[in-house]
Amino acid sequence: MVSDMFEKTKTKRFIYPTKGVCPPEIHFKITDGTLEEIRFVGGGCPGNAQLVARLLKGKPIEEVLKYLVGIDCRNGTSCPDQLAAAVSATENGRLKPAESFRVHTDPSAGQRIGLIGALEGNIAVLEKLIEGMHAGGVETIYCLGNQTGNSADNHRLIQKLRKQKIYALQGENDWCYAQGQENESMPPLEQKERDWLLQLPQVLSFQMQTKKGIAFFGDYIQRLPDYSDFEPFALEMNMVCGLTDFMQDETVFPALEAMIPQFQADIIVFSQLKKWGNWRIAGKDFISLGPAWDANRLSWGQLEVADEEIEFKIMKAETEGG
Amino acid sequence: MAESVKVLPQDIQEIIEVREWDMRTREGVQRFRELKAKSLPSVALDGDLVYEALIPMQEELIDEIRRRYKEKNRNE
Repeated sequence: MVSDMFEKTKTKRFIYPTKGVCPPEIHFKITDGTLEEIRFVGGGCPGNAQLVARLLKGKPIEEVLKYLVGIDCRNGTSCPDQLAAAVSATENGRLKPAESFRVHTDPSAGQRIGLIGALEGNIAVLEKLIEGMHAGGVETIYCLGNQTGNSADNHRLIQKLRKQKIYALQGENDWCYAQGQENESMPPLEQKERDWLLQLPQVLSFQMQTKKGIAFFGDYIQRLPDYSDFEPFALEMNMVCGLTDFMQDETVFPALEAMIPQFQADIIVFSQLKKWGNWRIAGKDFISLGPAWDANRLSWGQLEVADEEIEFKIMKAETEGG
Repeated sequence: MAESVKVLPQDIQEIIEVREWDMRTREGVQRFRELKAKSLPSVALDGDLVYEALIPMQEELIDEIRRRYKEKNRNE
């Protein structure tokens, strides 16, 4: 595996957790021994960072290292110095290529988990949902994306999500914002908000009793440039998104059943369809989240442990609007 | 399923080309959908889904391959 690190014929993507500088991560690619797509994520001086990225694009790493190393900005290091450390770490094998999609594990083992479908920038709905969920004894809340949408409140929604102890997952809109490729009709966001969206997990792994669950938005993850069919949970996503069309094609359920013994997860939750659904096949639970609001009604999903079994419920509450 | 194809007699091996799709991959799933298959394992001959959810007896598979081969080469 380590020898792969030095293979210079294939693009590899890296995410480096920085030390002592403003941006917590540096994302970059190495293709044929040259640097590409450098991005200082989550803070720092965006103008300078973009200049560094442009100047270094396509440059051989052995050529650029001498210019980067040893520059001091704060704490005896700097963004260029951290980039040098990152590149060196790829060379000595301490930094391995990034996973093809970002998986986060919720370390707590929840007894009652609240699941929110696409919020699409609707902060009023989020606030009412949080209120309703807490009143109902929900311990942990997962928002499955899209967090952003064609809404002037995207910014406020992001602020709210950041303040609350809520697991927010990246949806397709959020990914587009993170890449600066959002639809023209979508309102602009500041760079730091785009960076926050970029850093959101694309898959959340969680534990309930003895069951392992995963939550994700939908099939845009399969279209990510570095997506691998063989990473953990890719099989579950390929079966849900590609084989069964988000469980809408029941004719292929026999094939799904044949593949299920290879699954790592027991509970698979997704939200792209914006349509409620719950299927239990060969002991696995497949859950499609519906819209967070519809007409004058708020909806969320609730997973809970009851009599040592996992139960899924669709919760609804009347509201005056959202 | 692939094993049952690999052990076909040499004269059959010479007239066929075998391609196996991995159902764990997006490519495999796409091919499965194109063939309008429903179950696993599935075998398609010349792009036609012929066996689904079962492994045919070797003789049955050989007969079907020969039949198709003859049909394709009838005018040659």
